[in-house]
Amino acid sequence: MSALAHAPSRRILPAVLKLLLLRVRISWNSFRHAKTSRKIGTIFITLLLVAFAGFIFFLSWLLLGFLRSPNLTQYVGLDATRLLESMPVLILAALFVGILLTSFGVLLQALYLSRDMDFLLSSPVPLRAVFVAKLLQAVLPNFALIALFGLPVLFGLGIASNYNILYYPLVVLEMVILTLAAAGLSALLVMLVVRVLPPRRAAEILGFLGATLGMLCSQMGNFSNWASDNVDVSGEQASSLFRFLMRLDTVWLPLNWAGRGLVDIGEGRWLSGILFAVLTLGLAGVTFLFALATAERWYYSGWAGMQVVERKKKTAREKRPHSAEQTDRLSPLARLIPNPVRAILVKDFMVLRRDLRNLSQLISPLILGALYTLMLFRGRGGVEFSSGQGNAPAWFMEAGRLVLDYSSIGMSLFVGWMLLSRLAGMGFSAEGRNYWMIKVSPVHSRHLLAAKFLVAYLPTFLLGLVFLVVITIIRGMSVVAFLYGLLAMTLCLSGMTGILLAFGIAGANFNWDDPRKMNAGGMGCLGQILTMLYLPLAFGLFVGPLGLASALGWPLIYGHLAGTLVGGAVTLACASVPLLVARGRLARLAEG
Amino acid sequence: MSTTLIETRNLTKRYGEKVAAKDVSFDVHGGEIFGFLGPNGAGKTTTIKMIVGLLQPTSGTVRVAGHDVQREPLLAKAASGYVPDTPNLYAKLTGRELLRFVGDLYDMDRPTVTRRIDELLRILDLTAAADDTVDSFSHGMQQKASLAAALMHDPQVLILDEPTVGLDPKSARLIKDILRQMADRGAAVFLSTHILEIAERMCDRIGIINRGEVIAIGTMDELRTLGQTGGASLEDIFLSLTGGAEEAAIAEILK
Repeated sequence: MSALAHAPSRRILPAVLKLLLLRVRISWNSFRHAKTSRKIGTIFITLLLVAFAGFIFFLSWLLLGFLRSPNLTQYVGLDATRLLESMPVLILAALFVGILLTSFGVLLQALYLSRDMDFLLSSPVPLRAVFVAKLLQAVLPNFALIALFGLPVLFGLGIASNYNILYYPLVVLEMVILTLAAAGLSALLVMLVVRVLPPRRAAEILGFLGATLGMLCSQMGNFSNWASDNVDVSGEQASSLFRFLMRLDTVWLPLNWAGRGLVDIGEGRWLSGILFAVLTLGLAGVTFLFALATAERWYYSGWAGMQVVERKKKTAREKRPHSAEQTDRLSPLARLIPNPVRAILVKDFMVLRRDLRNLSQLISPLILGALYTLMLFRGRGGVEFSSGQGNAPAWFMEAGRLVLDYSSIGMSLFVGWMLLSRLAGMGFSAEGRNYWMIKVSPVHSRHLLAAKFLVAYLPTFLLGLVFLVVITIIRGMSVVAFLYGLLAMTLCLSGMTGILLAFGIAGANFNWDDPRKMNAGGMGCLGQILTMLYLPLAFGLFVGPLGLASALGWPLIYGHLAGTLVGGAVTLACASVPLLVARGRLARLAEG
Repeated sequence: MSTTLIETRNLTKRYGEKVAAKDVSFDVHGGEIFGFLGPNGAGKTTTIKMIVGLLQPTSGTVRVAGHDVQREPLLAKAASGYVPDTPNLYAKLTGRELLRFVGDLYDMDRPTVTRRIDELLRILDLTAAADDTVDSFSHGMQQKASLAAALMHDPQVLILDEPTVGLDPKSARLIKDILRQMADRGAAVFLSTHILEIAERMCDRIGIINRGEVIAIGTMDELRTLGQTGGASLEDIFLSLTGGAEEAAIAEILK
């Protein structure tokens, strides 16, 4: 030990405080060195959140008072007093479950994937202190979010129900201790998983699952509207919901002890209140302490074994023998593509496929497209045009039917737009800190642009083709309509690719560590807005002449020709001109 | 007289008010290993990035293998290989796939790519890990993979930024031997390093940069004369030229 260093302390609390203060110092320094606009934004948002919390408190005070009104009792058919007493139970249970579920990913990052782990674990700080500090840092944002809503509601309930003064500090104490218990359990789960899966791989899988579930949940509203004919909530349904919530409030569920203890103490039932409060604090405390005790062994072994686990897995895998003849043989199609273009194509597709964090960004268009195609299949809200129906002339109905048929093809373009926003809009940003490998190599700018164009365009085209085939079958469109729709889709997508890729070059950002955090900045957003405008206009140039030809009673072939010429010219210009303009910026990409 | 393979004339790079490199001029000839030394923040990496085409100079010219890097970038880049200080490689590619990718980028024919991959993996002791993804490599293995990528197309000019940092002695020795062999075959090797012993033992000529300006270029004997340090080591010469002698005195007190 050096003469200047003191003997390392084994006391956890001072070490935890030191680490937390360090984090506070880092945050404060980040704020101090930030741009003025960012400082103002941060202060404004903080004040907004405080005002929001106050609003929630005031609103809940009013609403909870309203819930006691005799009119509501008459409408719902139930005494809402019971519901009010169950509210702390429900909120605290939601807090516990919410922290438990949402902390896994955050704790995985904080405990195993943060950059300061080498430094912290090699310094004379107790491992448990590092664990506690990391745990607190990780769960604090989620806790703050839940507290932002939960605390004002519970305080509002306390005032509306005239609970005694001890209720309020107990609310805070129970929220904190339940959060620590949930976080401790989540951390134990993380440490268990890391013994089986490498942390990075676990983070990738979690990201992919999270993105998929998030997308599915966000579309539940649309899907349920589509699946159900009647979406209004009746009084009977509201009563059923209240009865269901009441059933959750049972003394046998440990999750409910916290809320029951609060209500009993608030209403002066001291014996049962203290009993429930002690049980809650005791059980939660024991859970957290168990996690802390286990962390000493599991945490260090998990962290230390990270590299070893990965290498062992790799060497145990059977390796396929490499045949020089196999690797030297190229398909005739591949031989048509210049080597540098093929190299970038193959590399990008491999990286996209292997990194689940990339796939999690690409899954959203697939899910949305599938959902909307299902809705189209059911025909909900669809408009059908039949000749002779209503008072409109036949030529109008015919033209309308034609336009609607082709408008369904717009679905494939919409899905394509979402995919291209990632593949083209961030085609260059996706290179990240590895871009230097391409920049120092003798790759011509036209080859680089061609490669990035194909990386974005090919999968989008294939996906659009699938949707186009499905839509054609559903709507019973003719072969001619399918082929013309294919032509329109092919050219519209190429124009979209050109625009998004060009803006992606202009806004390229290579400084990211997680693909989910890459962005093309303001330029990328501008590109997305422009393509949102471009899409209906470009497709309209293909479909409009058809409608016009039909309305004028001309053979449709004239409409097809006119649409191909006009639409083709515009889309091909959009595919090439932006790239020609952006090409000059390639030489200065990734400087600094 | 051997060919000049790296030639910089009045190379300057400004970032607003800050001058990262100012009027940097030197030549590196085929067959020699040129060491580029300087304190932290002196401008070594900036100079290197301008040579390999990662940065556009504010003014001045740089030619690699006779080609102006700004006017004929593709020809200049085709002749050079670069090993950065931080090996940011595609994490999800295997070692073999990475080298194949580089070979295709340099438009090499397939049989040559396959042969070079096997050769380089064997020379750099990466054969066992060739089919593992780069994110499973240690730092030293990533450095070696980065070097392999730079050597794929057998460049005339090899530029390395701190090539031995983080390497075990065996790997560091291997890299030194490879660089010496390349120089003996007529290539120009340009490397920046903090480790003065490496520069002293390996390099045929040394350039010293301080605060963005080249303050000395020459062989060890020439530098000794310039630094007026007699038979002193490169460390003494370096410190006397860069004004670090007072820091060395302080360090002595703390021992």
